[in-house]
Amino acid sequence: MTRGAMVNWLVYAALMAGIWLWLAGGMPFKVTGMFLASGLAIGSLYALGGIGMVVLYRASGVLNFSAGAAGAAGAMTAWQLGQWGVWPPLAWAGCIGVALALTLTYGRYLAPLLAWRETVVKAVATLGFALIILGLVSFIWIDDPRSLELPTDQIGIVLFGLRVTATRLLAFAAAIGIVVGIWAFLGRTEIGLQMRAVANARDLSALLGIPIRRVETIAWGISGLLAGFTGLMFANLIRLEPVVITFMVIPSIAAALAGRLNSLALVLVGGLSMGVIESLLTLSPTLKGVRPIAPFVIAALVLLWSQRGTKLTFGGRD
Amino acid sequence: MDRSLFRLTASGASGLSFAALCFVFLPMLAGSYWLSIFTSAAIFAMAISGVAFMYARLGMVSLTQVGLMGLGGWVTLRLNHLWDLPFEVNMVLAALATMICGWVLALPALRMRGLYLALVTLMAAGGLEILFATYQFPNGGTGFWGVKIGSTAPFRRPALAQSPEAYLRYCIAIATLGFLFIEAHRRLFPGRAWALIRRSEAAAMAAGVNVTLYKTWAFGIAGAIAGAAGALLAGSLGLLDDGTFRSSESIMLFALAVVGGARFWLGAVIAAVLFRVLPGLLNTWGVDTDLAFVIFGAGLLHALITAPNGIAGQVHDLVAKVRGKRHD
Amino acid sequence: MKLRNGLAGAFALGLGMIAGAAFAAPSCGANTGQAATGAPIIVGGIFSNGAPGDWSSSTDAAAAYFACVNANGGIGGRPIEYHVEDDQWNPEAAAAAAAKLVNDQKAVAMVGNGSFTEMAVNAQTYVDQGIMAMASACAISECFETPNLVSTNQGPLASNLGAAQYAQEELGSKNVACIGLNIPNNGIWSCQAVIDYMTSKGGTGSMAMLNPGAPDVNSALLEAVASGADTILMNLPAGLALAVLKAAQEQDLRDAYTWIAPTPLYDLSVPDAVGEYWHGKIWVNAELAPINQGGPDGQNWLAVLDAFGKADDPRDTFSQAGYLSAQFFVKALLEMDPAGLDDRAAVTAAIKGIKGYTSDLMCGPYYVGDAAFHQPNHAGQMVKVVAGGFEVVRPCYEYDSAYFDRHKEVEKALGLN
Repeated sequence: MTRGAMVNWLVYAALMAGIWLWLAGGMPFKVTGMFLASGLAIGSLYALGGIGMVVLYRASGVLNFSAGAAGAAGAMTAWQLGQWGVWPPLAWAGCIGVALALTLTYGRYLAPLLAWRETVVKAVATLGFALIILGLVSFIWIDDPRSLELPTDQIGIVLFGLRVTATRLLAFAAAIGIVVGIWAFLGRTEIGLQMRAVANARDLSALLGIPIRRVETIAWGISGLLAGFTGLMFANLIRLEPVVITFMVIPSIAAALAGRLNSLALVLVGGLSMGVIESLLTLSPTLKGVRPIAPFVIAALVLLWSQRGTKLTFGGRD
Repeated sequence: MDRSLFRLTASGASGLSFAALCFVFLPMLAGSYWLSIFTSAAIFAMAISGVAFMYARLGMVSLTQVGLMGLGGWVTLRLNHLWDLPFEVNMVLAALATMICGWVLALPALRMRGLYLALVTLMAAGGLEILFATYQFPNGGTGFWGVKIGSTAPFRRPALAQSPEAYLRYCIAIATLGFLFIEAHRRLFPGRAWALIRRSEAAAMAAGVNVTLYKTWAFGIAGAIAGAAGALLAGSLGLLDDGTFRSSESIMLFALAVVGGARFWLGAVIAAVLFRVLPGLLNTWGVDTDLAFVIFGAGLLHALITAPNGIAGQVHDLVAKVRGKRHD
Repeated sequence: MKLRNGLAGAFALGLGMIAGAAFAAPSCGANTGQAATGAPIIVGGIFSNGAPGDWSSSTDAAAAYFACVNANGGIGGRPIEYHVEDDQWNPEAAAAAAAKLVNDQKAVAMVGNGSFTEMAVNAQTYVDQGIMAMASACAISECFETPNLVSTNQGPLASNLGAAQYAQEELGSKNVACIGLNIPNNGIWSCQAVIDYMTSKGGTGSMAMLNPGAPDVNSALLEAVASGADTILMNLPAGLALAVLKAAQEQDLRDAYTWIAPTPLYDLSVPDAVGEYWHGKIWVNAELAPINQGGPDGQNWLAVLDAFGKADDPRDTFSQAGYLSAQFFVKALLEMDPAGLDDRAAVTAAIKGIKGYTSDLMCGPYYVGDAAFHQPNHAGQMVKVVAGGFEVVRPCYEYDSAYFDRHKEVEKALGLN
């Protein structure tokens, strides 16, 4: 790890600790611990969404706005299968399968049509796909209060006198596990090596004979799997509501920006700290109303900070 | 090529006659339901002209236009309940305040290009959405935020436009002024600088153009237009709700500006029609309005993949073809 | 299950009609058994269906009642044509909906409205156009503080007060945290009334506001927990209140607090939805009668919905309120001079003349009168969530708050108490 990355890690950790001391310093852990647990769960969701974004962005240059919509379609499918009495694990697999299928469809058939356009056009195009999915999902399942139960909701684990459900722990563990898994995948497999090559220099990689289409398809696949899993977790932990899950991509993008659309470890730490800070702000009488703004403020600051040295000069890539 | 300020192009002539026709006939033909929908379409056409102009002339993607409209609406409502100024004064002040906010947003963001710029504006839209949801819109209360518990205080509409018919005419007139305002800038020296920047920032800089200044300028114009549109929206209902200004709406507005065709006035009109009139039509026909999203999404993909100038561009090409044939 | 499926819906409707006819014949309007065939009387209704919740149960019930009236002689042989619009929780759409119904379609009255948005935007339109709105699921201050709106439900302010009063008197509550929507004329308005009430009784209160668009309910719950409250009042639409309860269950907070709620949680599906964990632990204020109380109107409401509604129309307080508004409206039309049925001013006068209508679904009499504010319904019942349903823990009681003093004066002037 470079010194720069180390500093970034420390900044997020220090920010979290500072806000903890400021707002929660004098309170018993029994109360503040709930905020921490809640924040870590939400932060894990931001991070999971952000990781999917970054993996895909690095490999294909596409910032995928439709990840949330794919997750929403998956979560609604899982709910519907549950209503039909399908064996629950099959319903969860259905969720991930639908998100994967939708994402791969886009990656395989639509994304190549825009492969050589500016990154911002590629990103906006995924928005079109997101709108199509959202429109169809809202059309099929009219608005109604629903909820998605997982068996892990019933399992509680007491940590430091605090009851935390297994679902929250699962989201947290998954976020960490997935970062480690993808890191190992990129570092130790041939496809991972190719993916890193494409991320670094797409044109050169193509010249070297790296199968770009195949590498990209795998990246889209990973992104789809993560979209499905995040959708399932979000539907369970926050709300099963297609519009809300679809636009969950916005804080996910904030988490991705925390890692500068580049570093998975930073996305994880950044996403987690966004969730925790957002949750801790509840304790501040003046800021509690605006707490969901935390991810956007942090992401904007990261962006401005990381661009501080740049001057408007001669072209280059975005 | 003659670049004088008052030269009337074919497209400009058709735009002005379209606006005049709408001004005269739309309020006469529309029922009460369509009056309110056309009013809102005219207001959004104006807001869309701001984003479309930034995208078409400078290649900048702004995903915060509806948030800026909310700012303009907020200022208008606040001033309306604070002093007894006429609506027009409030609207101009709102436009100025929003322009300044546009600058504040733009200055640090302008170091970035393309995707990063779009994402900064998206973060701003997300932040504004939460500020609106938290502090709400002024409804006649005291204090800075001006929110009181309970029912809303009355809003003073412009003296010229008390009835819904007159208000629609008023909005069409202001929207037309907004289009002309942008067009005038495009024809004067900022337009030349923008054209150079659009072609190549390096060339522009080499030619001594202050790129940051002109980009900020563009942001300010789009902000002022959005602020005025927000003021008109506040005037049409007398109150505003944070639900109107979600970041998803800003994203949608940009998407539709691309679908309509960002380079042409007709594009902004088409985008506004898709944004407000199409859901109204679907509702009247008894079709689920959620399907409008599917149409928007498909339209966006179609526009990006095969029709970079949007629907208006296709109309434009068609007209050019027909004319070309006639000349043969 | 609400999967859109025309065939299944029609099938369920058919089943419902057969089942309805089998055990209770609904009674509506003139009750002639003859279908009305004359020129239709246009009536409007606006509901909200959008992101934070579906508020259509009152217009569904009103539509069912009107359908029943039309099958039973209508108004002197003329059917009621009920036009319903969705405001999507969007003020622009709400204004357009009212413009369409009031100005374009020339409705003579609005009945059954249920919304968080519509009344704020349109209260002045109703005054300007001289039309009365007999709302049924009204959630904001304009419903109770403007001249041309009268609502059969109590709204969050009164229902919150009822719940807080019971908790303060019977459950030993001293510090109530009110979780509401961050809307000035809804959540803040109604939570503030609870804080004022608790302060007047020597206790304290606080509010935790939830942004309607923000997804995270848990943080509002934690905010309430951090306030040091002993009682948590869930002043939210049912879907959001269920999310709060689920989050509380996950953190096992049930026994540390008293859980109370205003009427939206009073829905037959709620006891199953919250699960066994919560049975006997949630107290809900019911603005109207208990759902299975068995009085003539209580039975007729269910029979009308079974025969003329859809199988998945909710059976909740707002459905009762929609049914009642429609019933009172029809009664007023039947009593007025039939020559004035197409004259909006005459219909408005007839509605304002409503006085002393009673129903076993309501604790007190229903009236309208010619005041600048209307709240006929300000007494309710308290129920507890138990397995399979609700148990009444306190029958009809008046809410003890200075807010209702002016209403009681109006009632005295009308000779109602």
